[in-house]
Amino acid sequence: MKRKNKKFTKRSQNPLNKLSLFQKTDSRFSKKCPFSVKDAPIIDYKNIKLLRRYISDTNKVLPSRITSVSQGKQKKLNTEIKRAKILGLL
Amino acid sequence: MNFYEHTLVAKQDLSTVEVDKLYNKYNDIINNTSGKVIKVEKWGLLNFAKKIKNYNKGFYIHYKFEGDSSTLNEIKKNINIDNSVLRHLTIRYKKLDTEKEYFKNDEKINEKKK
Repeated sequence: MKRKNKKFTKRSQNPLNKLSLFQKTDSRFSKKCPFSVKDAPIIDYKNIKLLRRYISDTNKVLPSRITSVSQGKQKKLNTEIKRAKILGLL
Repeated sequence: MNFYEHTLVAKQDLSTVEVDKLYNKYNDIINNTSGKVIKVEKWGLLNFAKKIKNYNKGFYIHYKFEGDSSTLNEIKKNINIDNSVLRHLTIRYKKLDTEKEYFKNDEKINEKKK
């Protein structure tokens, strides 16, 4: 039992680990898709500032259930992040 | 004819003269083989996110041009032999926006990476 508790406290330090399939409790991201609004930022492999918000600490792409990006835009994000990685920008 | 963007990553230990040579070389290649350079951006020396072939930094040169498959083949041929180029990337676009430059103040981007 003790061991289990320890594990739980360690995990909860990172706000992204807290998120399960059913909870959306992160203040970093809104519930609406940020790219489907008017005057949305352009998803581009040169726009590193934007892309860096959608990757984790270990440089993986964050799932859309956390960031609530729409399906089409998530596909585009994915390709652009990979392009930036090829050039060593991310 | 299509629109393309092409980015080169050159080695860190090149002198400024050699970088200019590279820049002119690919500029000529595009212009001589039925293509037309619309805009060239020098992003300068940037830090990599992780090491590439034991280099921590690299010179970035970015071309926006119009051309055929023959232009692309010629660029590819030359880059594969070129020792001073680490990575490269070509992407086709339907429209090019030549106004926005993401790498104008390079220092701020480098600071955030650390």
